[in-house]
Amino acid sequence: MAEETAHEGTGKVLVSLEHAKKSFGDAPVLKDISLSVREGEVWGIIGPSGGGKSTLLRCCTLLETLDSGTLRYEDITVAKDNGAGHSVYADKATLAKARQRFGLVFQNFNLFPHYTVLQNIIDAPVSVQKVPKDEAIARAHELLEKMDLAGKEDYVPCDLSGGQQQRVAIARALAMRPDVLFFDEPTSALDPELTKGVLNVIRQLAEEKMTMVIVTHEMTFARDVADHIVFMDAGVVVEEGPAEQVIDHPQHERTRAFLANYGD
Amino acid sequence: MLGLMGQGLMLTGQIFVVTLVGALPLGVLVALARMSRFKPLAVIATLYISILRGTPLMLQLMALMFGPYYLFGAQMGADWKFWACDIGFILNYAAYFAEIYRSGIQSIPRGQYEAAQVLGYTRAQTFMKIVLPQVVKRILPAMGNEIITLVKDTSLAFVLGIMEMFTRAQAIAASQVSLVPYAIAAAIYWVCCLIIEFILNRVEKKLDYYHD
Repeated sequence: MAEETAHEGTGKVLVSLEHAKKSFGDAPVLKDISLSVREGEVWGIIGPSGGGKSTLLRCCTLLETLDSGTLRYEDITVAKDNGAGHSVYADKATLAKARQRFGLVFQNFNLFPHYTVLQNIIDAPVSVQKVPKDEAIARAHELLEKMDLAGKEDYVPCDLSGGQQQRVAIARALAMRPDVLFFDEPTSALDPELTKGVLNVIRQLAEEKMTMVIVTHEMTFARDVADHIVFMDAGVVVEEGPAEQVIDHPQHERTRAFLANYGD
Repeated sequence: MLGLMGQGLMLTGQIFVVTLVGALPLGVLVALARMSRFKPLAVIATLYISILRGTPLMLQLMALMFGPYYLFGAQMGADWKFWACDIGFILNYAAYFAEIYRSGIQSIPRGQYEAAQVLGYTRAQTFMKIVLPQVVKRILPAMGNEIITLVKDTSLAFVLGIMEMFTRAQAIAASQVSLVPYAIAAAIYWVCCLIIEFILNRVEKKLDYYHD
């Protein structure tokens, strides 16, 4: 059964996915996913490993291509279903435009190891968006303040803790001024102590009404920070709804079984 | 004696420099062709690498030297031996460099490419800014090997009648019935290699400011 995201919200839809299907070879990973994220909303995506959460994110961020379905970033149609069950992607220039609408924070940070913290943050705005260097540097300082990393501009990623690296990665994504920020299990590679720092940063971004889609295993965090939560398993949306409702009062058996592992 | 050896050394040095100037960039093109998604290009590159690494450099030099006349009847002129030497060395070393570059490029984690892609870098930007600098650091030891080998491979130019340093040493040893010129040649090679090792060491230290 196709699960539509049935929620009323105000604000324009920044990214929408309709009836997304994706298989890797013979194995279907996304079986019919639809998602619609409005400005200012925070979506949490939870579920067991292999359920399709990462693939969903990777399709939204153009790291993978959909087999069928439609993907839109507001006015830009990235991929359109041609009615015969096949996604037709837009041309390179349009895809490049779409990439400016979103940012992605990876589980493994993926910082550029040969660049300093400052270079990591300013290089893309300068090289891709043609932002003047001073402007980019000023913005980088602002972001590093916010991430509680002021003074670390000349450090190299390998000299930082995992939590610090992830915060630099978030700053690097924010420096591009995306409309939507995607997070692929941002704290899964961090120990509990470092996790807190990163979650606080995301919390702060939520308070500032940054539109975000976060795949996470941190249930308490998801409940507190997300507006809506989607529970995905085996390539389908099993349940979705307001965050407190899904976490505290799950309706479906599978959701309950999954959340039971988290004790609370 | 040292004067003659010195003259030879000039030629040795010339072959060394010309080969590097030509093969270092050519190797990049060959590596990219080898990794290309356009199958015919990849096949040609693989064949090129296989033949040039799989046959003796000496034979390649001779093929270039005598090939044009025996295959096409072309008279190449007195200077041709220098061209044959340069081209032969460059083509040969580009094949070795290409494989080292490829190993370096393929060792860069996919996450680097993905981060660059999401940020909106073009493929050229990703390669030049993100991939290549990291590749250089990784391939430095292997490149050091090849460059040091090149120093001594220059002696193969003798087969084209080019009087580089080692050939001179042989000539002097024969005329003076002495082995001393050989010892001097060995010492000169070693000093050259020490200089190269020193330079590579400095570069490695400079790139040591980060690790993965």
